[in-house]
Amino acid sequence: MFPVPGYEQFCNDLSTLLSTYPPSFIYVQDIESIRTTFGVIDAVLQDVSGATPLESTFKVHYVRVDTISCFTTRLFFETVINTLVGWEPKWEDGCTNWSPENELKWNENLDTFLHGLRAAHQHLCQQHGIGTTDKGKGKQRESSYEDVRFVIVVERAERLKENLPELIVPLTRLAEMARIDLTVIFVSQVGWEHIRPPLGASPDPYFMDIQGISKDNIAKSLISNFSSLSISEDILNNPYHPALASLYTHFIITLCDICFPFTHDPQELQYIAAARWPGFVKPVIDAYSQQLDERMDEDGLEFTPPSEEVRVRLIRYFNPTFTSALEALLPRLTNATDWAKANEPPPNLLSLPRTSSAITSSTSKADSSSIRALPRMSKFILVASFLASTNPPKSDLRMFGRGLDEKKRRRRATAKTSGKTKSGAASKIPQRLLGPAAFALDRMIAILGGLLEENDVDTRMGGLAKEFKIPGEYTDTEIGRVGVYSTVMELASMGLLHRTSPPDRLDGPPMFKCAVSYETTLLLAKELDVALNDLLWDPM
Amino acid sequence: MRKSWNTLSAFLTSYSICSGFNLMLDVASNLDDISKTTFCIPYRPQVEGDDPIEESKRIIPPTFSSQNYDLENGRELRFEAYRVAWRRCLDRMQEIIRDLQRPTVKAVVQEALSSYTNILPGLPHPELPVISLLNPGLGTSFMDNITTELEANNSEVDLPTSVRSLVIHLYPSDLPNLSTGMRVIISGFIEKDEREDVKRKPGTSVASYNILYLAAWYKSWAKFVDDPQPNLVVALHDFEQFDPLVMQDVFHICSTQVPQLPLVFLLSMTSPSSNYLNATYSRSTQSLLRLRTFSAPSGIHILQEIVIKTFFDIDFEPDIMIGPAILEYLQDYFTRYNSSIDAVLALLQLVHLNHFTADPFSVLVHQSLDAGVLSQMQSKPFLEMLKARVALLSDKDDAMDIDDWSSLTTASVLTTIDEARSKLYLRARNIRKAFGVMFRIQTVLESNGHKGIEWSLSTDNSGRVCNVLLDILRGQLYRDVKRLGLIIKKLNYDELRAIVDSLHRYVFTMPVQARSEEQEARGYMAHYVSQLPDGRPVSTPEIAAHFSDWITKYLSDKLLPLDDVDLWDIWYTGMTPFPSELINPSTRASIISGLLRPHEFTEDLEKTAVRERPVPRPLWELPDTSILFKRYLDSGKMINVYDWYESFKSVLDTQRTQLLEAAASNGTPSSPRKRGRKAKIKQTLHEMTEEEEEKWRIEAQARFIRALHELDHLGFIKHTGRKADHILRTVFDVDDEE
Repeated sequence: MFPVPGYEQFCNDLSTLLSTYPPSFIYVQDIESIRTTFGVIDAVLQDVSGATPLESTFKVHYVRVDTISCFTTRLFFETVINTLVGWEPKWEDGCTNWSPENELKWNENLDTFLHGLRAAHQHLCQQHGIGTTDKGKGKQRESSYEDVRFVIVVERAERLKENLPELIVPLTRLAEMARIDLTVIFVSQVGWEHIRPPLGASPDPYFMDIQGISKDNIAKSLISNFSSLSISEDILNNPYHPALASLYTHFIITLCDICFPFTHDPQELQYIAAARWPGFVKPVIDAYSQQLDERMDEDGLEFTPPSEEVRVRLIRYFNPTFTSALEALLPRLTNATDWAKANEPPPNLLSLPRTSSAITSSTSKADSSSIRALPRMSKFILVASFLASTNPPKSDLRMFGRGLDEKKRRRRATAKTSGKTKSGAASKIPQRLLGPAAFALDRMIAILGGLLEENDVDTRMGGLAKEFKIPGEYTDTEIGRVGVYSTVMELASMGLLHRTSPPDRLDGPPMFKCAVSYETTLLLAKELDVALNDLLWDPM
Repeated sequence: MRKSWNTLSAFLTSYSICSGFNLMLDVASNLDDISKTTFCIPYRPQVEGDDPIEESKRIIPPTFSSQNYDLENGRELRFEAYRVAWRRCLDRMQEIIRDLQRPTVKAVVQEALSSYTNILPGLPHPELPVISLLNPGLGTSFMDNITTELEANNSEVDLPTSVRSLVIHLYPSDLPNLSTGMRVIISGFIEKDEREDVKRKPGTSVASYNILYLAAWYKSWAKFVDDPQPNLVVALHDFEQFDPLVMQDVFHICSTQVPQLPLVFLLSMTSPSSNYLNATYSRSTQSLLRLRTFSAPSGIHILQEIVIKTFFDIDFEPDIMIGPAILEYLQDYFTRYNSSIDAVLALLQLVHLNHFTADPFSVLVHQSLDAGVLSQMQSKPFLEMLKARVALLSDKDDAMDIDDWSSLTTASVLTTIDEARSKLYLRARNIRKAFGVMFRIQTVLESNGHKGIEWSLSTDNSGRVCNVLLDILRGQLYRDVKRLGLIIKKLNYDELRAIVDSLHRYVFTMPVQARSEEQEARGYMAHYVSQLPDGRPVSTPEIAAHFSDWITKYLSDKLLPLDDVDLWDIWYTGMTPFPSELINPSTRASIISGLLRPHEFTEDLEKTAVRERPVPRPLWELPDTSILFKRYLDSGKMINVYDWYESFKSVLDTQRTQLLEAAASNGTPSSPRKRGRKAKIKQTLHEMTEEEEEKWRIEAQARFIRALHELDHLGFIKHTGRKADHILRTVFDVDDEE
């Protein structure tokens, strides 16, 4: 009855509570798989609300409110009441809200909302024939509810704190304020203690914590999804054909074995499975369609589930791709549809020699070519800002300072002894592990000057250089150009530099942080012929 | 381009130079107001002006060059000519840009329309399709093309069913917060509905920023337009500027309604790195989206494409041909500072403008003027100058003989110009033909795996072709031609055949005029084609040698420099450099040179035009800030402010003496009042009363403080807390030799 294995206890508890005497305020916390929990709660409520008068004396009406979608009180009130009475706004009559007989405007403030709730309650009571004194009393009583019960599920309750802080206290005390049979359930990834309003304004809720689901249960729930997907009987177009169910079971078990250590969210595992499965069964379907082609005359060729041997072979062949799917899909470097398309196995895999193993196409390489198309000055600025973010300011003179006569001499950072220093204290953590440090624009421009003087002189146009006599003067002109400053701003707007000081601050130079990785910088430095590692205070 | 200027100005305000403008209005009212930290006292020169110093400052030199041989309405005529020339050039370039964009535009439109078809089965929840568009180079027109294509609804995209789509445009300022953002999105779509509005009572109906409101509208609208599922496309321009906190909620809210409400987000980004979303948005937001990325072409490749197809393509003849100096700057600026099409267009437009403003003769670019216009009295100087130049051409020995050129008739001058025009255009055409021939040969060679003459056409972003074009314009391509000849000699049958075929096609598909000039080449090509018959490999060395000789000769005949044609400078920019300091100045260098040589900025431009080195002025003639700055340069790392003041005052003393002397020696004083003062001045030169001395001292001090503050605002001074009365220099090593 309940969709997800592992939730049985929770489901039982919740449905028992809701169909008997629920506390007025329940708090459900789930850290790992909140979306699955939403689904489970919905299923429970659907089940409870569908109960006949014989099973339950209360008719339950429920509403799920998403606090991100309902970001104002008005949206919140409208969603709650319209859904409770089952009202759907229609465009043709101006999208009006549900309105009770007395034309009450209930979406303006909390007070009117409470009136609205009561009106809705009354309306539903009438609908179910509760409290009416009919003639056929005895008959009616048997098939009618005693009361209407409202359940309001507030999803992602932690967002209430930013969006609707004024609603938290009233919501927790909604039952006593509305004076009707009503339960509020908060569902959140965050604990109640982080949301709780100060000064004990809210009563403590009835806590229900969701334990993490075990691997077996996730696998079971993923497998149980298969039947809902196998709608079409056409095996050639539907990879979720009922005949493939047993293969799918093995597929999911393998997938969970590999991916479970990295994510416990069933939704994510389902996502990876959805991306891998069509490619996984393609060889089987290919083989079948080939058989079909060979026997054109016979049309009644039954599709037989693949044999044990084929299954083992498929799993062995695709085993490495599970990890790469996880690596690409969990951080959403690409989407499932595209990944599935890019990683289709070669046609007729089963007729190929057995030794082959799948090669996955890499997804992260595409980035480099587009960053190469940046103008030369932008590349220099990015390299300079990376250096400014990684090197300590005190080292600049040693790294970039050049005397007039001793042109190339520099003192390089000595290689640090690993582990601990002599005194026994832990050695300082290198900056690149701490993340980029903020730097003043002036400092970065000065480093840029150093880089340009050493690496860019040859590529300059000849015409201008003659006018400059003092060494470095041309570079000095170059780094003061409007183009450089506008490039800095443009890079900041692209998100490759990060401005840390507010734009409206006038005194002092603007501060930035570098927002490109070491790998990207290395790539850029190679393009520019800059020896990046020589310029790092802490060489890698 | 426009964006970068905006960001620049935003940036410069952070270095605000003067913050007192808003105080200007109420300054007269109350100087004692303690709530204000700054007062701006606006400069109001006195009208009478009896002060000799003020008087010397008020002489405004003529600022524009008056070229004395211009036509009376020369400016208007040249502007008209500029507009015609630039319009042609721009139209051509925009066509090229559209061609560059087409494949990506088509792919994006296809994706936007088919976002909700072919969804992968088995996903845990429906995803919101998001198309991100990386467009570092092609400018805003790219996004516009896509949206117009989407709105047109009759695209060439092949889809199983005809799918409609509605597009709304959002800019970062439209989404300051969530409720405004949602309201803008929802009302944006609803306003596009052609049907009559349904009456709404705002109080009792669903809030206008409720996504359910849009869903209700969509349901009814989709029924009305009778379309299975028209997509709703939200185009977000400058996506990086949107607030991620707002956008992540927008994405979340919209994703709750898919696929019943088929929204598609189209993000336009200027960032070249494709993982902006990955870096900025949380994983929970990303898991709601199905992100597909498309990138527009970028890099030096697009510059090459534009330059080749505009200036070196046989199908198009620009009115003005750019010279090597311009092309080199264009390449440099493009690769170094701004790799966008907008920058290229802006630079080329400036080149056109510059060409038509610099030389009065450029009015002759399109057609020679009416003889009637030239015979008018006011056009005389222009005509004389023109005659002089024409005479210089026709007879180089004694061109300076006045009788000679004044005897030329207007009509003959005009014919000479017409001849020169067609000659230059012919030569430019020849260059284009030769380049086209070499380009085709090289393409064939590269497709056969040869290096050829190393133009590396197939590797993207090599930028080699731009250098080749520079060589062509400078007339230095001879080596490549020779090498091409040698290579052709060694080719085998198949390769030779491919080259001959390609060239045959080329010479026979040229535009009419070019083709009619190439009778001979066509004859040759037909001959070679017949020499290399199909399928029957013949021994080629002889033919190859012959072909190689012919092609070498052909190319060397065509590749002649443009600047030895008569009057070339009317149609060709030659070695005229690009005014790069105007488009990308170095701020600090400009400020320093402004301080060092202030007079050069106000002097008559005509003097600088003839490259006359301006006479260095004595120190006392400079403005106060400059005097102070000169003294600043003479000092060490730290400056004692009192010493600085002393040195400044000594210059001021000199200035005062000099001015007074000048005023005294001036024979014709302007007013009788001054004459009365003259004697007094003589007297004060020697002795000043105590009171005057004091007054002068205060004035000098005030001027010192003012100049000091100006230098401080410009960033030349760093205050130090370490040493009393001292400040730190911030600028060293300035080339201040006069």
